[in-house]
Amino acid sequence: MCVGLSAKVISVKDGVAMIDASGAKREISAELLDDLEPGDFVMVHAGCAIAKITDTDSSESEKLSKEHLS
Amino acid sequence: MSSSELRDYLQNYDGPEIRIMEVCGTHTHEIFRQGIRNFLSPKINLISGPGCPVCVTPASYIDEAIYLALEKNVTITSFGDLIRVPGTSSSLQKARAEGAKVKVVYSPIDGEKYAKEHPDEQVVFLSVGFETTTPSDVIAVRNAIRDGIGNFSILTANKTMPGAYEAMADSTDCYLYPGHVHAIIGTGICKDLQKRGVSGVIAGFTGEELLTALAIAVRKHSEGGPFYVNAYPRVVTDEGSPAAVKLVDEFTRPCDAMWRGIGMIPGSGVELKEEYSSYDARKKFDIPVLEKEYKTACRCGDVLQGKIRPTGCPLFGKACNPDHPVGACMVSDEGACSAFYTYGGSL
Amino acid sequence: MSDCITLAHGSGGRKTNELIAGLFKKHLGNSYFTADDAAVLPRPEGKIAMSTDGFIVSPWKYPGGNIGRLSVCGTVNDLACMGAKPLYLTCSYVIEEGLPISDLEEIAKAMGETAREAGVHIVAGDTKVAGKGQVDKIFITTAGVGVIEDGIETSGRLARPGDSIIVTGDVGRHGTAILLSRDEYGIEADVTSDCAPLWHPVSKALEVCPGMHVIRDATRGGVGTVLYEIAAEADVGIKVRRQDIPVADEVRGVTGLLGLEPLYLACEGRMVMMCPSDKAQAVVDVLSGCKYTEGAKIIGEVTEDNKGKVVMVTEVGGMTFLPQPGNELLPRIC
Repeated sequence: MCVGLSAKVISVKDGVAMIDASGAKREISAELLDDLEPGDFVMVHAGCAIAKITDTDSSESEKLSKEHLS
Repeated sequence: MSSSELRDYLQNYDGPEIRIMEVCGTHTHEIFRQGIRNFLSPKINLISGPGCPVCVTPASYIDEAIYLALEKNVTITSFGDLIRVPGTSSSLQKARAEGAKVKVVYSPIDGEKYAKEHPDEQVVFLSVGFETTTPSDVIAVRNAIRDGIGNFSILTANKTMPGAYEAMADSTDCYLYPGHVHAIIGTGICKDLQKRGVSGVIAGFTGEELLTALAIAVRKHSEGGPFYVNAYPRVVTDEGSPAAVKLVDEFTRPCDAMWRGIGMIPGSGVELKEEYSSYDARKKFDIPVLEKEYKTACRCGDVLQGKIRPTGCPLFGKACNPDHPVGACMVSDEGACSAFYTYGGSL
Repeated sequence: MSDCITLAHGSGGRKTNELIAGLFKKHLGNSYFTADDAAVLPRPEGKIAMSTDGFIVSPWKYPGGNIGRLSVCGTVNDLACMGAKPLYLTCSYVIEEGLPISDLEEIAKAMGETAREAGVHIVAGDTKVAGKGQVDKIFITTAGVGVIEDGIETSGRLARPGDSIIVTGDVGRHGTAILLSRDEYGIEADVTSDCAPLWHPVSKALEVCPGMHVIRDATRGGVGTVLYEIAAEADVGIKVRRQDIPVADEVRGVTGLLGLEPLYLACEGRMVMMCPSDKAQAVVDVLSGCKYTEGAKIIGEVTEDNKGKVVMVTEVGGMTFLPQPGNELLPRIC
């Protein structure tokens, strides 16, 4: 129940953010996250930004591997 | 480790056997889509758990939606996933062919917007989903209140995960926790479960993230002892989204919920609070109780609990297939049976 | 001329003639275009290919084209798939009463331009008008005849294990453009339809590889559907690599938001080709130099095993079956 897509925030106004996912733009709710700013990357699900994204999957995998799998 | 190193690790693993339950239907879908099952060591057994909200939604819920559409002339707005799901005798797809107004939307918030633009129609959004989706449903209701919209309501079948974690704990050695649920509710529950001996790894959804999470689960299991790792920290923080939790708490309260194939899990449902009952379609339209679950040889329930693989069901691929689904596990792309049927066979 | 199409325009009388003379002839006219009951044409040398296709699309215009261009490309490309140079087309319109004449003119203009671009002559036509609500604005059916050069034989049955599989450009653009034009999901993206007439690039590919086995245009079912069709027709397996399948960023974004698979979205200007592997690079090289096929790529191979199936090599190096096509495409959010 979790199809999500990462997208870049273009603008935020009155709890609504315009996001850009590889060129696909849409308005979504920004209410679930505090201090969302243009340039932030967010995870989008069902019309809401549900989380800020703080890293790429590859770089995160690398760090996790070092910590848990070496 | 690179993807290929992770793959080698999971392929050649020869430690103690491990059962890993992916709780999230999107995980099930991605694991198949990436072909991960096909290279896992036989010591690693993946179980597709109850995390597809479509699968665990009782057939009577679809009956309620069809009743609203055909008997009450309501415009149904819904995620695409529910359109083909069989109720006891029909589906929304068939009802649409009979004249029901069924509109697929991207978000519940769009359902509310549609109601605002069509004041002469009664509009109901089919509100299914877990913690990840419920905030969107609540925002739609909140917007309707804000906009003074009287023709919008939601038919709730929302569910919460923690009850299911408890109910299914004996079926697995380790949960692959659904990353986007925990992006909302945080990681407290995972730590509590670890203290009570239940292991799990929070996982993301890309191929690389899934491989990493699986490898960590396998390694930690082979080292022994209950464990918990957040393998998706780029999205999941310990506190989750307090704003989302607050919003949901403001408008909803827990209720008991039927999980198709599993049964009643106390407190695992979500419904609108009494003061918002005019936005609760069940109350607003006084829907009669439609609880005749149909009896078939379908073993969705055992599939969801990891007791059998989809191929162990007598109906699988015969009476039950994606064109004519009997059990809901065959309907949604996320359903374990549909995923087995679509991606299964041997490579 | 009145501003809207009325039932009188389909009566076969004065209004019909007005339409033919004033509008269709202006845009579609050429030396073979006839007002008689049938066009009389010189006999082509060699085997001929003949095809017909009906076109309904809502909305009738979208970024990158309209139903007029589509109706020419569809039939021209069907002919090209058989290695046939398209020569003549006929077109039949069913128009909904009330369609603005300016819309019809826009459609006819696109048909004329596309036909000239494709080097095909529109030689005969028919116009019917249906009552309000009986059709959605306009339906067009085209039929075409082409001539096949000696020595060329392409068919879905001819795919052979070891063949390379080529797609002539990024997938799913037409379907995405239509989806966005319907504006049902509030998404905006700069995606134009891939709709294009492909005889020219196909003829170039056949020059460097006359032994081409299969050419098939990926239309409404997308590239995924074509791959399954050929796997069944030739009783072979098909293996493609996800990372090699070209998908435009914007298409990836839109399909990502909606949980759709780009391989099942319609294309109207993309061919899937299968040819002996030693010729594949030469085909890709020549296609890369042609308009509309600049993005051609080798995406996989035909295999002996997994007969009737399409196997996907995934990003993480796994192997999985591509889901069988068939159901209504529904956005997936949960």
